[in-house]
Amino acid sequence: MATLPSGLSDSVSDDEDLARFLTQSSQFTTSLVKPAAFLPNPKDRQTSISRHGPEPREDLWTLGLSAAGTRSLHGAAIFKAQAVRAVQLGVEADEPPLRHAVITGWPWDEADPELQRAKQKELAMKIASQASLLLR
Amino acid sequence: MPEPVSTLGFYFLGYVALSNYARGGSAISGEAIAARNAASALMESVERSQALFGDKAAAISRLRALAIECGQENWDADGAAMIDPRAIFNAEAIVRALPIGVPLPEFAPEPDGSVSLDWIQSRTRQFSLSVGRSHRLAYAWLDGTDSGHGVATFAGSIIPPRIIEGIFAIAKNGDAPIGTI
Repeated sequence: MATLPSGLSDSVSDDEDLARFLTQSSQFTTSLVKPAAFLPNPKDRQTSISRHGPEPREDLWTLGLSAAGTRSLHGAAIFKAQAVRAVQLGVEADEPPLRHAVITGWPWDEADPELQRAKQKELAMKIASQASLLLR
Repeated sequence: MPEPVSTLGFYFLGYVALSNYARGGSAISGEAIAARNAASALMESVERSQALFGDKAAAISRLRALAIECGQENWDADGAAMIDPRAIFNAEAIVRALPIGVPLPEFAPEPDGSVSLDWIQSRTRQFSLSVGRSHRLAYAWLDGTDSGHGVATFAGSIIPPRIIEGIFAIAKNGDAPIGTI
């Protein structure tokens, strides 16, 4: 098992906290993260996340601001790697940038994009149901 | 589409006249009473329509605001496509077509340029509809430990019954009410 530049293992453990940064206020309600926040990017078919929990908060937001770039950073969805693997998706370390990781294995069906989206949405819903909303 | 100001003014004047008539006057004949009752019924209908339209208009405004916020590529700083104007058009048609009594959804952008219409009662009771460029709608739902997904076709005026049933199944017995019309 190798160590990454961040000092983290290259293997993401099930109980590891992960963060999906939220750049739009419409990605969450007053208390919950909406499923769409977890859907994959159609270009690389992955969802970009960071290997960080709710604390230390200052470090989390530093990481988030770096990920958001010129976009606003409203908050983060915090969840365990286990919540992703429970729906048969993968979590893989993907540095650089430091602490970066991706959710992989999303169902893909070029022949039927709507069915593909429906399948992805169900999985995203299940992950969202296990996530905590942390507002900045 | 917003009403032209002149049309709204005409409606307003008609509304005022109807309202005054419905509240009563000095006429006492049977015909006058019948006419007044009819005016009252019409007033109630107009006011109910305005209340319904007001909620839908507010929802459509939120949808359009979302289109502006996510009207550029990479709105999520992760390479998302800009929200497709045709997705907004289709989503507006769905909001307008929602039957009376169906809760109004919340909206969220999706990274492929589609719009998500979400009925969220709680963490584990949700129904979500994905609206993109086509008239085929992807949907998924979560109800406790039960979940599912599917695709339905929206022809532009009538919401597919299975979607309405799905929304109601999630909305009933929920503990976090969503804007009912």
